[in-house]
Amino acid sequence: MIGRIRSQTSEASKFIVDWMEHRTGIVTMLEHFLFEPVPKRGAWIYTLGSAVLGLISLQFLTGILLLFYYVPTTTEAWNSVYYIMNEAYFGQLIRGIHYWSANFLMAAVGLHMAQVFFSGGYKAPRELNWLVGVVLLLLIVGLSFTGYLLRWDQDGFWASVVGIKIGSYSPFVGGYITHFLLGGDTIGPATLSRFFAIHVWLLPAAIAPFIGIHLYLLRRHGVFGSDFEYTERLSKLHEQQRLEEYDRYELDEDEYEGNGRDRE
Amino acid sequence: MGSDNDLKGCLEGAKRLAELQKDPITRGDFLGFGLLGAITGAILTIPPVAFILSPVIKTDVLGESDISPDWFRVGHISEVPKEAPKDFQIEFPITQGYGDKKIQEESGVSETDYTVLNAVWISWRDHEPPSFVEGLQKGDSLSQSQIEEVGQKINVLSNSCAHLGCPVRWLVTEGEGEFLCPCHGGIYDINGAYIAGPPPRDMYSYTFEVREDGNVYVKHEFDVQPGIPGISTQEPYVI
Repeated sequence: MIGRIRSQTSEASKFIVDWMEHRTGIVTMLEHFLFEPVPKRGAWIYTLGSAVLGLISLQFLTGILLLFYYVPTTTEAWNSVYYIMNEAYFGQLIRGIHYWSANFLMAAVGLHMAQVFFSGGYKAPRELNWLVGVVLLLLIVGLSFTGYLLRWDQDGFWASVVGIKIGSYSPFVGGYITHFLLGGDTIGPATLSRFFAIHVWLLPAAIAPFIGIHLYLLRRHGVFGSDFEYTERLSKLHEQQRLEEYDRYELDEDEYEGNGRDRE
Repeated sequence: MGSDNDLKGCLEGAKRLAELQKDPITRGDFLGFGLLGAITGAILTIPPVAFILSPVIKTDVLGESDISPDWFRVGHISEVPKEAPKDFQIEFPITQGYGDKKIQEESGVSETDYTVLNAVWISWRDHEPPSFVEGLQKGDSLSQSQIEEVGQKINVLSNSCAHLGCPVRWLVTEGEGEFLCPCHGGIYDINGAYIAGPPPRDMYSYTFEVREDGNVYVKHEFDVQPGIPGISTQEPYVI
């Protein structure tokens, strides 16, 4: 009885998978995108990129949820965050995840960059992926900066004032940058509106295609290129040494035979 | 050998150039396409860019400000003690974005007063008030000569640090005390003159007036030397 159910289910699932594969090629695609041989040595270190991707996904998901209650005006912003934290069911959890995964995201990005840097993963032909990664880093820094003001509390407010005034020290364009971020010449309703727009639409919309490019380039060149290349080169070297050894051996044999012939 | 290759490369380049010149596109066509491209590009880019940059255009090109240009009363000079500065709070009305007064009146939906809260530190220069200040009561009026003397001996400082704009506070640990910025440790003396830390200049002082009623009045305007933008200006961006 159980055996029959099992075989029926497996057949049904096989049929569904085959049907999808035939129409979308999804199985081949998943195989291509998900599976990759990993060297045994230091395998955990290679999960940092996935950790970053996971944290960014959390940011997107919890950010969308927070938007159901957050109101981006100077009079209501703090109150709406207060509502999320004290009235909405699981509000503390959702906002806590958004807040903490943002913090961990910065740390994970730093570790990910360090890992790529120290393992030489930025070298040819993967320089472009490093550059795309730097763009992603800047976008994430921009997201952290603009997200801080949205709470509209003393902490975020003054941190943003300091950040905006750091921009005012840029040569030639300092004033323009300051007034662009402020939306005028003082911090007020327009500042909150544009930080909201940048945080919720502009930068997320910009970060998504760059993540796509990052992953595409990653799959094109492989995460462990240098690692496997190295082992491959080592094995080639050993092979070559072995062959040379044989050559010498064979040469010796020839010489021996030749000598033998001479002797005859 | 190298020069041979160079020569070959040159010849090939010349051939390719000749090939290009055979292209049927005429000068007129080229200019026409260029013009069309420029017009299309302008139509596509100018509206969104101007839309986003309108605050920048309004403040930096047209010289408009969101902050009310009026005079605001800070406080009576008798409130300022000899040994330490006294802080006053002023809410400057602002008209920015949907907070614009005119828009609010026209819509009739919301009548919130949008303001920016600034703190003003008032102190006596080098801890030395004019002699008549000691007996002064709150509400006492001043004569013209007294107004002039007070004007010379008073500091009306913005609490926004000249480094990155954090609010500075008065701190007495030893000696006469100093203004300390909590963010990065900028230190100023009682006149707002730079002593130590990262600030590039002295504290900003407001444009102020001492009037006959004995009160100090300020405008949201600061002591900034004009200069070349981005190089030698001291634009404060006091917020």
